[in-house]
Amino acid sequence: MSGEREERAQRAPQPRTKGQHGEREERQRLRYRKAGTAVGLLKETRTLLSGRDWRGRSRTPRSAIEHESPEGPREFPTGWARMAAVRAARHGIQCAGLTPLTWSLTRPSVQGLHQLESLTGPAVFIANHSSHLDTPLILGSLPRRYARRIAVGAAADYFFDARWRAAVTALVFNAFPVERHGSRKLRSLAPHLLDRGWSLLLFPEGTRSEDGWMGQMRLGAAQLCVTRGVPCVPIVLRGTYAAMPRGRNWPVPGRPRVVVQFGTPLVPAGTEGARGFQSRLAGAVSQLWAEEDLGWYRSLRDSADGRLGLPVGPPAASWRRTWESSRPLPSRRAEPAWREDALP
Amino acid sequence: MSRPGFVLEVDERTPALLVHQGEGFRLEKFPLGTRVIYPPESLPGLRGLDGHIRHALDHPLGAEPLRELLFAGMKLTIVFDDLSLPLPPMQTPDIRGRIIEAVLELAAAKGVDDVELIAGNSLHRRMTPAELKRAVGERVFRSFFPHHLRNHDAEDRDNLLEVGATKHGEVVEINKRAATSDLIVYVNITLTAMSGGPKSVSVGLASYRSLKHHHNVHTLRHSKSFNDPPNSAMHHSYDRMAGVLDAQVKIFQIETTLNNDTFPSQLGFLNKREWEWSIRDQATYLAVKRANDLAPVRQRRALWHRTAAPYGITSVTAGSPAEVHEVTLRNVLRQQLTEVDGPSDIGVWGLPYICPYNVNSIMNPILMMSLGLGYFFNLYRNQPIVRPGGVAIYYHPLRNEFHPVHHPSYIDFYEEVLAETTDPVAIEAKYEQQFATDPWYTHLYRNSYAYHGVHPLYMWYWGAHALEHLGQVIVVGGDRRTATRLGFRAASTLDDALEMARDVVGRSPTITYQHTPPLSMADVR
Repeated sequence: MSGEREERAQRAPQPRTKGQHGEREERQRLRYRKAGTAVGLLKETRTLLSGRDWRGRSRTPRSAIEHESPEGPREFPTGWARMAAVRAARHGIQCAGLTPLTWSLTRPSVQGLHQLESLTGPAVFIANHSSHLDTPLILGSLPRRYARRIAVGAAADYFFDARWRAAVTALVFNAFPVERHGSRKLRSLAPHLLDRGWSLLLFPEGTRSEDGWMGQMRLGAAQLCVTRGVPCVPIVLRGTYAAMPRGRNWPVPGRPRVVVQFGTPLVPAGTEGARGFQSRLAGAVSQLWAEEDLGWYRSLRDSADGRLGLPVGPPAASWRRTWESSRPLPSRRAEPAWREDALP
Repeated sequence: MSRPGFVLEVDERTPALLVHQGEGFRLEKFPLGTRVIYPPESLPGLRGLDGHIRHALDHPLGAEPLRELLFAGMKLTIVFDDLSLPLPPMQTPDIRGRIIEAVLELAAAKGVDDVELIAGNSLHRRMTPAELKRAVGERVFRSFFPHHLRNHDAEDRDNLLEVGATKHGEVVEINKRAATSDLIVYVNITLTAMSGGPKSVSVGLASYRSLKHHHNVHTLRHSKSFNDPPNSAMHHSYDRMAGVLDAQVKIFQIETTLNNDTFPSQLGFLNKREWEWSIRDQATYLAVKRANDLAPVRQRRALWHRTAAPYGITSVTAGSPAEVHEVTLRNVLRQQLTEVDGPSDIGVWGLPYICPYNVNSIMNPILMMSLGLGYFFNLYRNQPIVRPGGVAIYYHPLRNEFHPVHHPSYIDFYEEVLAETTDPVAIEAKYEQQFATDPWYTHLYRNSYAYHGVHPLYMWYWGAHALEHLGQVIVVGGDRRTATRLGFRAASTLDDALEMARDVVGRSPTITYQHTPPLSMADVR
């Protein structure tokens, strides 16, 4: 090997890159690279955003859920959203923007509003939840005296995790943060709001349905009604999952029909516990849900016979559950349970 | 509270995951069902570090307090880990410097005049004065350099001493100054379970005569893995040598462990789990990625090598090497170990820009092999994350580039030896003596900043266990000709690589991606 010394020594100071790619080639490569910058950036952005929502957030992979970081305490003040000027602004936004837009993109059928005529004072409205359309539909359907004085419980970890989003949500919906997943970081504003004469709109399932069917109702709303002695109005929304399911940011085209069905206000009895009241609420929700399919009287009969349960969907593969619940509602409600010609 | 490591199973919710690829990185969508090994989150660093150092020196394990071991007129040698640790280099002040200052404070108070500081660089390249200064700190450098702060020279026959031999006939030959000292204080950074303990003096201050007993193909093939000392033939050899050393030399070992804060806050997204990236992390990713991809290779490399890690120190332990190392290993595993349920057909690793032998240098193809098939493949306990006969997929550009000053013998090894064979056993038998004793390489090792002539062969042996274990090695984004020279295959994309791998492991392979750095070690059950 000693004979190669000089050759090796001469070769040593020159890095290999020089020998292989001349300056010209290097410059040319750089030019190509610069030309591809825009395309490259687009490609990178697409890869980065795949699997993330429009806010750039990714859902936690299932196997990582138990390893999620405990979140630090945070609180977003919403008191300003109930000041007179902001209420007026919200009324304007809802009447001139949100409600007409919702009604133009869907074909809502609002039923049972007469049940609210005898209702006085603040109440807790509860509804099933499967779409971002749910809140605008309910707010747009409510009589004015309630629509002007209602606060909406919104997931703290979803709507109140960024200041701008929290501000917009509070302004447009008069939303207040509700902790879910058993977190006790925030003091609940709900009792405070009821004491001040605000009605509440709550979604006891805690989140939008994954497949259009209802999940288990949490006890919070019933507990609130029992402890504060306020009535609860069950509402059922049908067709909103098919109109704008989770993952969509805009309703499907074709103005799908949606139903907003108000039920009879339920008042907790003097000795009734939260679980008992919750059970009555669940029964009322089941009956309202069935009313769209069976008609009013048949749903009452089935409910009285104990044949109705919470509409949690068939025990089938997830695609079948989704398939069934994403079926558009028929353009008219179901035929009544009785036959016209059978009436006296 | 740091979260423990865990194994993610890629589902439809999983966003694209970060993969390192030389002086760059990318996001990759892995197939559904792929397992991804994440290390535990970074542990909190010790607060009041100087207090912890003083406490360790005053309350050592299995030894008297350091101040009791120092006396006027003694011969004290302080040895410290060289630039191969930690990776990336840590932000200054370096923990070695802080510990050495504490040791010297005690030595000065005791009136010790004869103090020498030696970098335990073994057959690695010498550290430059700037690198030495960075490691030991300005004050120590100013007081000792150049006469009493130097690099170990494994080819200086006059300054080597054969201390003895083990019952297996392994010669223990180390630096003479250290061997004849009244006390060796070894200052260590243990980044992986492989380092520290009996390895420190017996390797850091050794000569080729001594190293060849454990740095050989047979030993490395029986080190499964070399990050699991009880199952590593290499560590058994270190232990035997340490036994010989203990009988002759008094060693006071000071070991430290680091947390997983591998990248500075500007590159914080590299330390985070992808689904937890904030908008800011995503914007930073896009900006850094594009800027990095557009930068010329040299500038890109220079930038990466200027990046210093904001490591926190998780433990400082002092005393007798064996007892100290037990505590150190526990702390390393506390930070890195993740339990994995069985091996898979395909293992995936993203190789970063740095390995122990290219600090401020170029990661050449041999070093890529050593990092991938040596270091990363061996980041396991019990069994590899890939089954025998499985496929390893690495991400690396694998450029045919060498640093002519740092790696001269690597160039010849690549051009002459690998052109003929890639079989470690054949290479060892035919070429080791030639490269180890070549006077030109020896000259460059001693007088320039070159790695020892035999070093590229050692790097090849480093991957011998993986080469024997695996059915195929595929490098995504690698240069095809270079990959062929190494005996690997190159693929443009992960999909291509998986398609190629299916020829070896079948149509529905299981895949495990070891998400590192930050370093993770798989405890495969």
